[in-house]
Amino acid sequence: MSRPFRSVAASQHLMNQFGSRVANHLDDALPALPRDIGERLRAVRVQALAKRRISITEAFAPAVVQQGGSSVLHGGFGFWGRAAYLIPLLALTLGLLGIGNLQEQLRASEIADVDAELLTSDLPPSAYTDPGFAQYLKVDIKN
Amino acid sequence: MRGVEKRAFKRSLYHVRNQESALDIVQDSMMKLAEHYGHKPAAELPMLFQRILTNSTLDWFRRQKTQNALFTRMGDFEASEDGGDFDLLETLLPDRDPDQNENPQNQADRAQTLRVIEEEIQELPARQREAFLMRYWEDMDVAETASAMGCSHGSVKTHCFRAIAALSKALRARGIFL
Repeated sequence: MSRPFRSVAASQHLMNQFGSRVANHLDDALPALPRDIGERLRAVRVQALAKRRISITEAFAPAVVQQGGSSVLHGGFGFWGRAAYLIPLLALTLGLLGIGNLQEQLRASEIADVDAELLTSDLPPSAYTDPGFAQYLKVDIKN
Repeated sequence: MRGVEKRAFKRSLYHVRNQESALDIVQDSMMKLAEHYGHKPAAELPMLFQRILTNSTLDWFRRQKTQNALFTRMGDFEASEDGGDFDLLETLLPDRDPDQNENPQNQADRAQTLRVIEEEIQELPARQREAFLMRYWEDMDVAETASAMGCSHGSVKTHCFRAIAALSKALRARGIFL
């Protein structure tokens, strides 16, 4: 018996049709799954979604993990996760050190200016230890 | 992911033929997806899930480490030659009006048909079954199926062709005309 000739596209179309018909039957079986199986699958999905939320949170923000009663920062995203909070911390520390150093220099400079004024003044430094002169200065300031 | 887990469960069940094991595989796959790929865009998740499910099923078989009948089926993951010289395409032509099946009076027939289809799907070699279910039930294209199965496009086409040939032949032999 001779078989009818069909193009590749026609053959493919027939195969797809057959596959779709089988798939439709298989779809019909899904609602008929036992109730307990359906509930367990639903619980698994809920659990997985909760885990995904945690995974996303960990990926984009370091989590505070309780370990042995003390809080420690725990990076959840490798090098870049740690860098995300270490770099600002480092910048803050360097800034504070810089400000402290600058203030120290300014104070030293002010003291040096006072010393220079004292040493270059016509008044001898020993005059400032004289009680009479100190009294004179107080009176002068009040006036 | 809604609804995906039921198809995943049935797919695993066709492979392992044990409800508890199938549930374990689906749970394992979903948790792996959430844990390792949770930060990926939602559009990428279905494909990743299919790949993880396939690998988890393979892992299950590997864990069995026994030469029982089910594991022997894993040998089917290798290509096998299908005999027979019947005309596949003849068997694929629909013999019935598809709307006929929607008649409520045929519900019992449909249940019986479904049971036979499921039995015959379980009889398929594992790789053929996997390729067929991904292509036609999960509605994945050849490239996606190949990616999930870790094989070439040609292999997917071959597996699908052989699966359809075997299914249509077996169903006709049992009086099922889709």
